[in-house]
Amino acid sequence: MLDRRSALASAKPYTSSVLQIGEAHGFSLLQVAGLAKAISPITGKLPVKVGLAVTSEGRTLMRTGPNQFWIIGPEVDDIETKLPEIAIITPLSHSRTRIVIEGEPARNVLAKGVPLDFHHSAFKSGTFAMTGLHHTPVLVHCVGENRFEIYALRTFAVSVYEWLTDAALEFAR
Amino acid sequence: MRIPCPHCGQRDVGEFRYGGDASKARPAHGTGDMKAWHDYYFLFDNPKGPHDEYWQHVLGCRQWFKLTRNTATNEIGEQP
Amino acid sequence: MTAFRRLDKGGRIDREKSVNFTYDGKSLGGFAGDTLASALLANGKTLTSRSFKYHRPRGIMSAGVEEPNGLFAINGNEPNIPATTVDLVEGLAAQSQNAWPSVDFDLMAVNSFAAPLFQTGFYYKTFMGPFKKSWMFYEPFIRRAAGIGKGSCEKDPDRYETAHEFCDVLVVGAGPAGLTTALVAGRSGARVVLVEQDLELGGQLLSETDRDFEMWRTTQVAELRSLANVTIRTRTTAQGLYDDNLVVLLQRHENHDAARGRPRQTLISLRSKAIIFATGAIERPLVFPNNDRPGVMLASALRTYLNRFAIVPLKRALIVTNNDTAYKTAFDLAEAGIAVTMADHRNVIPSDLLSRAAMLGMAMFPGTGIADVEGAKQVTRVQLAGNHSATIECDVLAMSGGWNPVVHLTSHSGIKPVYDDAIAAFVPGGYAKNHFGAGAVTGKFGFESVIKDGNAAGADAAKAAGFDKPATPVATIGAKDRAYKISPHWAPKTTGKGKAFVDFQSDVTVKDIRTAHDEGYVAVEHLKRYTTLGMGTDQGKTSNINAIGLMAELREMPISQAGTTTFRPPYTGLAVGAIAGRTVGLHFRPYRLSPLHDANKAHGATFIEAGLWMRAWYYAWAGSTPETAYIREMELVRNGVGIADISTLGKIDVQGPDAAEFLNRVYVNGFAKLPVGRARYGVMLSDDGVVLDDGTTTRIADIHYYTTTTTAQAGEVMSWFEYLLQTQWTDLKVHVTSLTDEWAGMAVSGPKSREALQLAFPDADVSNENLPYMGCLDVHLDGVRIRILRLSFSGELAYEVHVPAEYAGSLWEHVLKVAEPLGIRPYGLEALASLRIEKGHVAGLELDHRNTLDDLGLGKIAGKEKSYVGKELRFREALQAPDRWSLVGIELMEPDKKLRGGSILFSAGDEIKGHGRGYITSVTWSTELKKFIALGLYQGGLKHEGEDIICAFPLKNEQVKARIVSPHFIDREGARLNA
Ligand SMILES: [Zn+2]
Repeated sequence: MLDRRSALASAKPYTSSVLQIGEAHGFSLLQVAGLAKAISPITGKLPVKVGLAVTSEGRTLMRTGPNQFWIIGPEVDDIETKLPEIAIITPLSHSRTRIVIEGEPARNVLAKGVPLDFHHSAFKSGTFAMTGLHHTPVLVHCVGENRFEIYALRTFAVSVYEWLTDAALEFAR
Repeated sequence: MRIPCPHCGQRDVGEFRYGGDASKARPAHGTGDMKAWHDYYFLFDNPKGPHDEYWQHVLGCRQWFKLTRNTATNEIGEQP
Repeated sequence: MTAFRRLDKGGRIDREKSVNFTYDGKSLGGFAGDTLASALLANGKTLTSRSFKYHRPRGIMSAGVEEPNGLFAINGNEPNIPATTVDLVEGLAAQSQNAWPSVDFDLMAVNSFAAPLFQTGFYYKTFMGPFKKSWMFYEPFIRRAAGIGKGSCEKDPDRYETAHEFCDVLVVGAGPAGLTTALVAGRSGARVVLVEQDLELGGQLLSETDRDFEMWRTTQVAELRSLANVTIRTRTTAQGLYDDNLVVLLQRHENHDAARGRPRQTLISLRSKAIIFATGAIERPLVFPNNDRPGVMLASALRTYLNRFAIVPLKRALIVTNNDTAYKTAFDLAEAGIAVTMADHRNVIPSDLLSRAAMLGMAMFPGTGIADVEGAKQVTRVQLAGNHSATIECDVLAMSGGWNPVVHLTSHSGIKPVYDDAIAAFVPGGYAKNHFGAGAVTGKFGFESVIKDGNAAGADAAKAAGFDKPATPVATIGAKDRAYKISPHWAPKTTGKGKAFVDFQSDVTVKDIRTAHDEGYVAVEHLKRYTTLGMGTDQGKTSNINAIGLMAELREMPISQAGTTTFRPPYTGLAVGAIAGRTVGLHFRPYRLSPLHDANKAHGATFIEAGLWMRAWYYAWAGSTPETAYIREMELVRNGVGIADISTLGKIDVQGPDAAEFLNRVYVNGFAKLPVGRARYGVMLSDDGVVLDDGTTTRIADIHYYTTTTTAQAGEVMSWFEYLLQTQWTDLKVHVTSLTDEWAGMAVSGPKSREALQLAFPDADVSNENLPYMGCLDVHLDGVRIRILRLSFSGELAYEVHVPAEYAGSLWEHVLKVAEPLGIRPYGLEALASLRIEKGHVAGLELDHRNTLDDLGLGKIAGKEKSYVGKELRFREALQAPDRWSLVGIELMEPDKKLRGGSILFSAGDEIKGHGRGYITSVTWSTELKKFIALGLYQGGLKHEGEDIICAFPLKNEQVKARIVSPHFIDREGARLNA
């Protein structure tokens, strides 16, 4: 009876021959605060610094603070129950909307709003940045040559999505 | 202006929130000393030159940190 | 009448591609590669504009961004665009400005007879002097006459973008120096961005005829274009230099099309590790009587029109100079068959120039300048004076007073330019770290030396950016530089009757500067403001240095001591639209939607902006206007059951072994002993003892709390918690995370709310015993964990139902569906805020960061023994004063009138004047009391309970009678919420 509804459920689709913008719905996000050595036996090796992401057993592990990690897994994930009690766990699966932008102009579109260096040599696959897009906090994760996953706050997701698709209007079909 | 977040690296000033003068120590919790709190809260120097400041990487990792900023040039020195 | 004509061949224009445009509605033609200025000249438009103050006839004076005269409104919506910077494109519509009815016949030229109106310091004397009243008299006239150009009131039809960019080496300017440095840096492997405001690369080389130069230029450009690590941006102007090597660029695009998302301009914030300034130099005019007549032009501009645009004077040109470079113009014109006369202020002229001039049959007048220029609408005749006096008939008068390096950008960093006697001009006074200069901006004008220095600057910049592998230098063409000689000439000693213009755009003359000097406005910054020198859209690019030279002469001091004005961004004018970018309309600011937004919409909500949030204001079932709908919604909650979206509340997860201690410190009331499964209302103060926020905190588990904040203060409180934990109380083991987006919330309120919950969660025990007032219960529905808090904002029996955000929509529909038999309906923000007024709950309007606990009647909740943030300063004398404005309830005493928020409160006997004794913060119609009631702050607060007051609303000239009452209008004992 209760069903999950995306913030972008009624957003207008964006179509282009060179660029895709859409939502990648259905993931779980667990924020875990604690020491890496206490958590890594369960999760696998954690990244050593903020801004690096690794993949381990189907999950993406990110270091989002000095002693804080994000575990992004499948929509249903039981890792929460396995983590040590000493870790402080905050489920955040509903708090973020994941917007994917992929294509040759993706880096240019992001550079219209984010004051970061999106050059291939500077923002590589496997890295992420927590930054601002359209004045809202976002986590931008580079997951391929020209593919980015943007974790926007759920309540700003429509605004950010509209901003992005408008920024990409020049590439639209 | 760019600010070096100790965790995320050089970022644009727009990602940060200024958190005030970091050169003075906040009185310990529950001191009961009104004068100490008064001086801490209301009395500030306004130096031209290096100034210890609190900043929060509010659109980023949300961590607070101290830095020294030259108020005349915006040059940022070592973390105090 | 015309002074110019187009040649049949030559130049860089593409005669195969004609371009049609209009000028004041008339159709004209040009070619691809033309600027609007060159096309106007080619069409014989010598007189193109009228001047600012005197409406004197003016023509195009330059071929670049320095143009003071030839300003146009382009395509009906953008005024003050120099024709010299506009690429000629098909369909372009140029409109002349500042003239009525036309530039040829301008009635406002009567200004010339009203000239005393525009005396030096007119504005100062009018506003500051003893005759301030004269403004009243002059204003209508001035308003009509003043102002350059006219803004459009229409919405800008074009699209503008902003963008961020990063590189290792930025090169500003693509003349010989810029091309060289960019190439050397590019060869080193650095990421290079080369920006050029022109549409072509080459700078001055584009105006040369020598094939060796063109060969050199095309070779370097080809290699630059072949390098993947070099980005070339033409039509791009570096507008300003800011902290940390941030340069703001304005790029103008061809083929812009708003509907297809193609911007007209992009404002780029570029951050570069190293910057090379290769900004070149701008020729300065000479100052002589009537030097502003159409057909008077900079010598280098005339050469550009000849060599680049194939435009020549009709037959005869006179050139006046004080330096060698004007001879290039003279020789090229003579070779093109134009009769050239040369007047040179210098007595001694280099012999190679003299012999070449003789060979070309030019008339030479050494030691000679200009006494007057004749011609009503264009130059016809020129009077020479000096060693020779003669009258020369000519179509065009070209002038060269020397060259001013473009020191604007380097000066933006705060480094003042310095005067260089050798070139009689200012050069950069130094460079900031990782900044370099190359080419004419450094005061070197010879091609060979520019290439040599450019090679060094390019390598230095690359090295500064971390690329120290030596790169092959760029080759020169092996010519020999001739020394640049100039003898400065700032202004004639006398100007006779004719106005000798220093600043063409602002109409500032030699006489004005003398007046400013005589009246004591001698400092350059004062001179500028007193005379309006350099205050036009061209920012004095052709005038400032001449004015400084003249003032230094008047003060009998070296120019180096006279100083310069401050250079500020932007370097050229730019559209406000470019600064705004896409921050317009829908994207003016981000907006925030509740997880229940779609559900609210489906239930006919009308939305209202509250901060960034779009909140459900009222619902269609209750009425079509907020004034009526909220009353029905209030009645629903008071008598039955309603459901409201409260997802906007700030929510914070507080976890850790020291969580209890942390909350106990930040709240004025105690949290250490709060049992698990119970909630408590709390108030927190700032360090200064003023109320920061309120909310409820629920203890989920021993070391786990769920805290809510007001919607407005959510971000502030979160940052404050982080500040305390990360910088002050680092010994406390507590982790805080915002849950505002993770959890949605809905209030289920009204006497039937328990029944509604029972229907919604049939497996849960929501009885008063199991879930008492201020209790918390986690229930499960379809495997989803839902948190029910028994809290009340309305004063009725009420619950807050919190649910992970993605489930909110379906839970909302579920509750509305199963509780339908109870008559449940949604209620909006207006009713929510009104119900709490009846109950006397404070909210954002009362928590305005100026009030103390006692002001809000909350003093008694503060712990006496415990310490809490703000405790010390809370007891400051001023915050304890007995007559502070404090919370009161207000009842309207005149039934046919209404109370208004923001009304100023007076005691019944007071004179209605000034700030009064307080004001109304929140107003509502009370469905229970059937009258208007309000919360407000009143001097002395409830000590005045029962007294009559006047609520004044001066904006509507209203005064109504009211009475101070308790702010708790209903159910003072709390029987309802404990039911
Ligand atoms: Zn950071």
